[in-house]
Amino acid sequence: MYPRKMAQALTAVAATALVLTGCASGGGDTAAVDITADPEYSGTISILTKFGGEPLGPFFENAAAAYTELHPDVDFELIQETDQSVKDKTKTLTASQALPDIYFTWTGDWAENFIEAGLAADLTPVIAPDTEWGSTFGEASLDAFKYDGKYFAIPLYNNGKFMGYNTAIFDELGLDVPETFEGLIEACGVIKDAGYEPIAFGNKDGWPGLHYLQQLFAYNVPTGELKADFVPETATLDHEGYVKSMNEFKTLVDECTNTGEGSNGVLYTTSQQAMADGKAAMYYQEILEFDTINAEGNVVNGQGFDIFKLPVPEDAAGDAQAIEGSPEGYLINSKSPRAALAVDFMKFVTNMENATIMASPPYGQPSTVIDAVSAESSSPAVIEGIEQVNEASQIVIWLDTVTVPDVAFAWLAGGEGLVSGSMTAENVLESVRAASESAK
Amino acid sequence: MRAKLKRLSGYIWVLPALIVLGIFVYLPLIQNFGFSVTEWDIYSGEQTFVGADNYAKMFSDPIFWTSLWNNLWYAVISIIMQVFGALALAATIESLRRDRWRRMLRAIYFVPSAISLTVAGLLFYFIYEPNVGMLNSVLEGIGLGAFAQPWLGLESTAIWGIIAMSQWQGFGYCTLLFAVAIQRIPSELYEAASIDGVGPIRRFFQITMPLVREMTALMMIVTISGAFQVFNEVMVMTSGGPNNSSQVLATWLYRNGFVKNDFGYAAAVAVVIFAVTLGIALFQLWITRRRRVEW
Repeated sequence: MYPRKMAQALTAVAATALVLTGCASGGGDTAAVDITADPEYSGTISILTKFGGEPLGPFFENAAAAYTELHPDVDFELIQETDQSVKDKTKTLTASQALPDIYFTWTGDWAENFIEAGLAADLTPVIAPDTEWGSTFGEASLDAFKYDGKYFAIPLYNNGKFMGYNTAIFDELGLDVPETFEGLIEACGVIKDAGYEPIAFGNKDGWPGLHYLQQLFAYNVPTGELKADFVPETATLDHEGYVKSMNEFKTLVDECTNTGEGSNGVLYTTSQQAMADGKAAMYYQEILEFDTINAEGNVVNGQGFDIFKLPVPEDAAGDAQAIEGSPEGYLINSKSPRAALAVDFMKFVTNMENATIMASPPYGQPSTVIDAVSAESSSPAVIEGIEQVNEASQIVIWLDTVTVPDVAFAWLAGGEGLVSGSMTAENVLESVRAASESAK
Repeated sequence: MRAKLKRLSGYIWVLPALIVLGIFVYLPLIQNFGFSVTEWDIYSGEQTFVGADNYAKMFSDPIFWTSLWNNLWYAVISIIMQVFGALALAATIESLRRDRWRRMLRAIYFVPSAISLTVAGLLFYFIYEPNVGMLNSVLEGIGLGAFAQPWLGLESTAIWGIIAMSQWQGFGYCTLLFAVAIQRIPSELYEAASIDGVGPIRRFFQITMPLVREMTALMMIVTISGAFQVFNEVMVMTSGGPNNSSQVLATWLYRNGFVKNDFGYAAAVAVVIFAVTLGIALFQLWITRRRRVEW
């Protein structure tokens, strides 16, 4: 009797569970919003930003306060997250169908998920390059969020990855900016012998390692193959440039960092600090970080800070002019009843005055608005970084957002395995191929 | 009639608690079973029934087994340290003659438990930090520099570093609870045993241990359940890395749900966590259901 009762109870639980979860049900569509309509200046605009914490936090707070001053019946619900936590927050809000009116996005697979599911409003009528608002942005930034000929996001700032270096240490040791990857490794030996940490590197979160790998992949793997390999359906991942890149990365970790195989136990913010304190000669960083590391009062600010692109390895088969990075932007919730108001607020955030504020210290975010980044508003390093991004043959999107999550996760674990020495380049490539195969 | 009404009023009093429990505990639990047999696209909201596919995938997933092993090690070490170690320490503290010492030691051991897990995790992250961490500095200071390691950065040491932190954090709390249980044992029993020439170690095994059996069972359930629900300290200290070596079931669930977008699979991992903790709790209750010792 008992097993039968047990089976009945389990069946009842399973049946109830399926009913409660609404199996095979869709999210349900709502009528497309009219983003071109005249906004009704009342209600609460909810925004999920990636500007949590100092020094970026006040930017959206101040912009919201200024907008409320213009339109007293509009108030804001700001959800401000950091680079790491915004990923979880966005997915939690998506799963619970509670996305705010405006929300942060990266380019690549991250944005595509929202666009394909109809969760992002088509902004083409208001932000295409030939529109009044769209013409204020650099076209390449708008194109980064273009899918099937439509524009979906408001690009807020550009980004790119560069090696920041302490000019005083380079001068003291008589070093020039290395021209090749092999030259960089040689320079590391000189810097290490002088008692400095050549390159500060903290890989606790995994993605700092992926940033090196993606830039090296862009150098070592022909662009066509690289792009095809981001998509599981077309991926082969068999170009020798992958193994070459991973071995070069491993050499850099072993020869240029003090923590070597233990770098997985170091936070990237600790590495930032080592550079800021003048203890490390170099740190591979995003443009967004320049003004934080080189802030007034930091040791490196007094000694001298400059940047260079990660040097290209010899015999590189890919694109030597590519730079890793991508603009970051904001999507408008396609189901928001205040979509027109949300668009109006984002026009306000990206007007020349606010774009200049965002590009200036302490925020130092290289605005995508044409002429917002200038000698008057931005630090020399930010201007140089943006110029190099603009001159690059292509912008290669971050490895952890350009491809599907399963493949990105395999790269993430593999990168950590490379650093700790538990995996060879061949092992990593094999695990990524397996992940890509199962994601087809 | 009056008696019936009185009986009914009892049910009415417990009804609000039952409703709250039903909505916030049992309903999500049942829903989770439902999610575990679906493939759930969080973007479109679409859920497709896939039967036992998520469970089949789980049992062939090497990281799932790594996570399960890490949880098991967590449980075994926690039982040794936080149940038996804490009991021995509590007995030692309670055997001290001066009350002032007893109170002071209880407070000293309890302090780490008053620190939140997240803060403790961060604190130990910096203790283990390879550049500026205290542990490596101490090892070098006492001539054991050869043992200095990037503790959280190596696959061979990361999970042990986390488990060690967890013992430090939970040890004092268990000691305090055992101390309270020992205080309830009549002192006459110890006095009579002493007069009969029974030494302190035998007194511990013959008097203390049997009379705190209920507390020991409770602590084992709490400790094992806690070991299978561990999450915060792993996320703060290693995020499950490097190369998934310090994943536990809860962080693997989180990774699948929030990083890999595989919420159906994550729900299946959650079902396993629930089944393991429920099974252990039932087993513990069953083996300790012997009659309570009265005095």
